[in-house]
Amino acid sequence: MFTRNWKHLCRRYSQAVTFRTSEIYPAQHNENQIGFFYTIKPDLCKQLFNHGGLPKSFMKQTKTFTETAIMVRQPALDVMDCIRASDMNKPVIRYVLYGEKGSGKSLTLAHLLHYALEEGYLILHVPWVSEWLRRTPRHKEMTNSQTKEGFVDLPLDAAEWLLHFKTQNQALLKNCEFKISKDYEWSKREKTEAGSPIAALVEHGINRVKYACDVIDALLLEIKILSNSKQCKTFVAIDGFNSFYYPMTRLNTPTKKKIKPEEVTLTNSFLELTKNDWNNGVVVLTIDQLAVPDENQESFLPRYLLYKKGFEHLDPFVPIEVGRYTDKEFLSCANYYRDRLWLRGPSDLETELKFTSASNPYNFMLQCAPL
Amino acid sequence: MSILIKRSKSGCFNSACNVKLWRLNSTSADSALKKGEEEEEFRVLDILKKRDKMQRRVVKRTDVQPDRIDRMATNQNWGNVWPGPKTFHPSSVPLPIRQGYVPKGQAPPGKKANAELMKIPNFLHLTPPVIKSQCEALKQFCTEWPNLLNSEESIDKHYPLEIISSDYCHASPSIRNPLARVVILRVKLADLKLDKHSTDKFKRLVGDRYDPKTDLVTITADRCPTKVQNLDYVNYLLTACYHESWNFEDWEKEKTEDDMEYYDWDNNASKRSLIDWYLRIKNESKIMNDEEYKAFDISQIENGAQYKAAVSIYMNEGENPQTVQEYSIAVRKLFGLPQKKLF
Repeated sequence: MFTRNWKHLCRRYSQAVTFRTSEIYPAQHNENQIGFFYTIKPDLCKQLFNHGGLPKSFMKQTKTFTETAIMVRQPALDVMDCIRASDMNKPVIRYVLYGEKGSGKSLTLAHLLHYALEEGYLILHVPWVSEWLRRTPRHKEMTNSQTKEGFVDLPLDAAEWLLHFKTQNQALLKNCEFKISKDYEWSKREKTEAGSPIAALVEHGINRVKYACDVIDALLLEIKILSNSKQCKTFVAIDGFNSFYYPMTRLNTPTKKKIKPEEVTLTNSFLELTKNDWNNGVVVLTIDQLAVPDENQESFLPRYLLYKKGFEHLDPFVPIEVGRYTDKEFLSCANYYRDRLWLRGPSDLETELKFTSASNPYNFMLQCAPL
Repeated sequence: MSILIKRSKSGCFNSACNVKLWRLNSTSADSALKKGEEEEEFRVLDILKKRDKMQRRVVKRTDVQPDRIDRMATNQNWGNVWPGPKTFHPSSVPLPIRQGYVPKGQAPPGKKANAELMKIPNFLHLTPPVIKSQCEALKQFCTEWPNLLNSEESIDKHYPLEIISSDYCHASPSIRNPLARVVILRVKLADLKLDKHSTDKFKRLVGDRYDPKTDLVTITADRCPTKVQNLDYVNYLLTACYHESWNFEDWEKEKTEDDMEYYDWDNNASKRSLIDWYLRIKNESKIMNDEEYKAFDISQIENGAQYKAAVSIYMNEGENPQTVQEYSIAVRKLFGLPQKKLF
């Protein structure tokens, strides 16, 4: 590894040739390390991203490169700075990551998730909202909600999310004793007492899929109460948030009636979560053009993608732009690909690729694939 | 065969006729020989009349006068040659014009007997010197251009209304062009006396025809067949819109926040969220109704005014990276977060 890096140093790259940093704790990343890749340990990676969180194309790349390496970039550092500077006693501050297609929003979110894990936050991560509302395999498991009139449940998705929550937070759930504050009665025979740990609630939701959505509601309420009482600090990360505000989903009731996002219980749960009526937490959202169908993808700016309702719900929020690679980052990425023997060819290839991919991270990755 | 000699013929041929009487029995193969001897001795019967025809073709027409072109002086007054609109007359126009389909390897057809040149309208009656003399003749009926209307601004000030129409000349048997009926009226909205409500109503009535960048209202009319009718229609439209925009209908009172053409921060949810957030910080959260929200004074909230300005610009001006950036700066100040560092 070291000799290979040294070989690269000997080449005639005038810019910074090192592209790796050995700093694996995101909390200690600072601007000296912008443009450098750091690797996440495989078991951490599994813990955080087993049920989603990294884009599919990136997962393929990690398999090829046999490591998960994320570049340290300015937006992530910006959010980390703001989190450190913010007062936890004030209501939660919401950060909205926006940017063009393929500019690195989901990966920035992944970086921040790692940071949250290391800092001991309780993580509430929704990997991709459109998965629930728009991706409909042949038969989507949907039921009418029992507790709320006229709403639709997505029990399997809810159960999957609870499992994801459990894996991400297994350390915290084991160590700390987070107790729920009130009774929850699911049916005549099933009841979760006040004072039992949250883990029990989660288990119940995973086992009894029928009540999974209501469990999520209860869970989020409890977590808010816990955060308010300073027992834990919470990190909420939602990817593709604007999908909640798009007028239509791809779901249909058995009577072929189209469902709007606000008629789905999961939507309401997470919208409640992102309100700023609780404190001691951080909310990071990404809004993506890919979360909505092609006709509505004209712009990537927040107001357009969130529609009026979404904007009013989130206002005031801190918009953070995730842009394309800078020159330094681009070269660093190219060096990384060369190191992984993904990109071969003369060194002039970099200038050409920079032009053709317009320094867009996703495009660059795609274009290196056949090379 | 014998032929009676008609003594009524001219006497000089009498003896010749006598000679010919005998010759008629001979064959036509000898006619070539006989031509030379014809005038001396016998008449020859000319069935096909070949010789007469040949003679007729050779005769020239001598009664054509020379072209007028050849009799023109170079310093003549052209206005006298072509006083009014006239079909093209090739021998009166001293120009070597060629017009028409160009066959391969040849020049285009000349002007003599050229139907194409004759079909199209020509303006040989309106050459510049002729126009000049006509203008001179008209000048005695004209007054001078006003001295003070010497700049664009003064013309706009005194004559704010513009009517634009085009005249066409068709190069076909009919010189009428259907596009000539189009009339465009242009006026600056600032020149019309409108107050806040009526400008908004006028803009909504007029719709796309208003250009916010140049503040011009452009009304085009082409639905009537003649220009005069379209002109009347355009004037009618302008007066109707103007008077309607001053009227206040009963149903206009039902205007909601969604219909507003600009974003008034005070009436909107953004103010409510800001106030809620502020009260929560101070642990004073309470439920307020709309009136109290509107009446709340945001000067207590630090950086609140900047936030209000940023949101108003964001909504009113449309979304672009610049406005988003300003919004982000304002929100960060509000929350007490560090500004974005540029690397």
